[in-house]
Amino acid sequence: MEISADRDGGAVIARANGRIDSSNSREFHSSLEAVIDEDDSAVVLDFEDVSYISSAGMRVILLTAKGLQSSGMKFALCSMNDSIREVFKISGFDKIIQIHGSQSDALAAVSA
Amino acid sequence: MTESPQKHKILVVDDEPDLEPLMLQRMRRYIRTGVYEFVFAHDGVEALEALEADAGIDMVLSDINMPKMDGLTLLDRIPDVSPDIRAVIISAYGDMKNIRIAMNRGAFDFVTKPVDFDDLKFTIDRTLQHIREWKEALSARDKLVVLQNELNVASMMQQSILPNKFARNDDYKLFGTMQPARNVGGDFFDVIGLSDDRVGLAIADVSGKGVPAALFMMSSRTLLKGAAMRTDGPGEALTEVNDVLNEDNDACMFVTMIYAVYDPATGVLTYADGGHDPPLVIHADGTSTQLPVTDGLALGVLPGFDFLQHSYELSPGDTVILYTDGVTEAINAEEEQLGLARLREAFEADPPGDAEDAGHRVIDLVNEFAGDVPQFDDTTCLVLRREN
Repeated sequence: MEISADRDGGAVIARANGRIDSSNSREFHSSLEAVIDEDDSAVVLDFEDVSYISSAGMRVILLTAKGLQSSGMKFALCSMNDSIREVFKISGFDKIIQIHGSQSDALAAVSA
Repeated sequence: MTESPQKHKILVVDDEPDLEPLMLQRMRRYIRTGVYEFVFAHDGVEALEALEADAGIDMVLSDINMPKMDGLTLLDRIPDVSPDIRAVIISAYGDMKNIRIAMNRGAFDFVTKPVDFDDLKFTIDRTLQHIREWKEALSARDKLVVLQNELNVASMMQQSILPNKFARNDDYKLFGTMQPARNVGGDFFDVIGLSDDRVGLAIADVSGKGVPAALFMMSSRTLLKGAAMRTDGPGEALTEVNDVLNEDNDACMFVTMIYAVYDPATGVLTYADGGHDPPLVIHADGTSTQLPVTDGLALGVLPGFDFLQHSYELSPGDTVILYTDGVTEAINAEEEQLGLARLREAFEADPPGDAEDAGHRVIDLVNEFAGDVPQFDDTTCLVLRREN
């Protein structure tokens, strides 16, 4: 899976795409790790082009959140479709990872 | 594919004494850089002995006419030592008859005398390239077999922990079923007998697939059984299971779960969600109620999380459906999800009269909706129907 990355201030904005499930979650994980630099102060993962995420993909989000937390970097998710937003709500993941409606809101939150 | 240069051992078989020094001289550059290593034999019998003694020989380069055992007989015998060795024969120029026999006996290629060493080098490299690809294919196949065996173990573990006999009494009836995905997911359900005729009902979905999911499923299920019997209610039980699952969970595996306790004396269902879709109650008239979430969190994610619980009093004829996302996220050919609304509609038109019937109908609904589209997730439901 290709993850494109832009930088805004100290934050890296990573954009995933398509379905994230057990068939590509490993690749999703390594691609996501590859776009994050040690110097980044925050990571915003944009779900605009993601259509579906399974529990294997959620596990990667959790691993990333814990990894970033231990290295003192902020982490936010944004621009999810309704069904993915629902998955994060039902699973309770939105209690431990911040989720924003838009990329600009997410950037503002992690830059604050 | 990039790889570091691999050393290949080649057995040269010829009864004429001049080939060995010539070979070593003309190929000295490749021998020195470690690309080739040559060993020599002087007839077919010696060649077979050398192959038997050294499993590291990849390739045989053999003359045809030799004492004791000729090259054509040797070709026949090589597969008995190892089917992965490839042979190239050296024939007299224009000896099409023997070349044809050699090729029919499985020779990979041939070169002719007098030996053109540039052509020989090319032929050897082509043969070795083939051998490398062949070995890679074999290794990929072996890995696949191992993986398949592991998945079979995971699937057996998953099936073995599911209850298959369900209470059917005057107060309530139960039924649970799981349709496994082809690549072994991590769903399970459980029915736990509790004091005072109460019964504990659990449905769960472990993150990921395969053996890791199956192992995590086993420990989640065992922990829940223990916690269910020790604790007073579902919220407390999930709190306990979550704390234990969070110990040493560097892999960040997690499980979403509903754990509910039904008390037939009062008809009250008390439940807690561990980041899982809440129970759906289908009433006798076909209307339905999705019970409110208890604002939980997937288990294994955050230690010390306090799980809450809600209670709901079932009326006689109410059917509670616990399900995993394999049901609501089933996909059809148009890539639409089944969704909760379709599930509710299906029962609205024709309310369930029986727990087992309702369970089968959930699975049938998924299968009809999905059609030929392969499903990536287990499809699981656990049904409770209050009779009186």
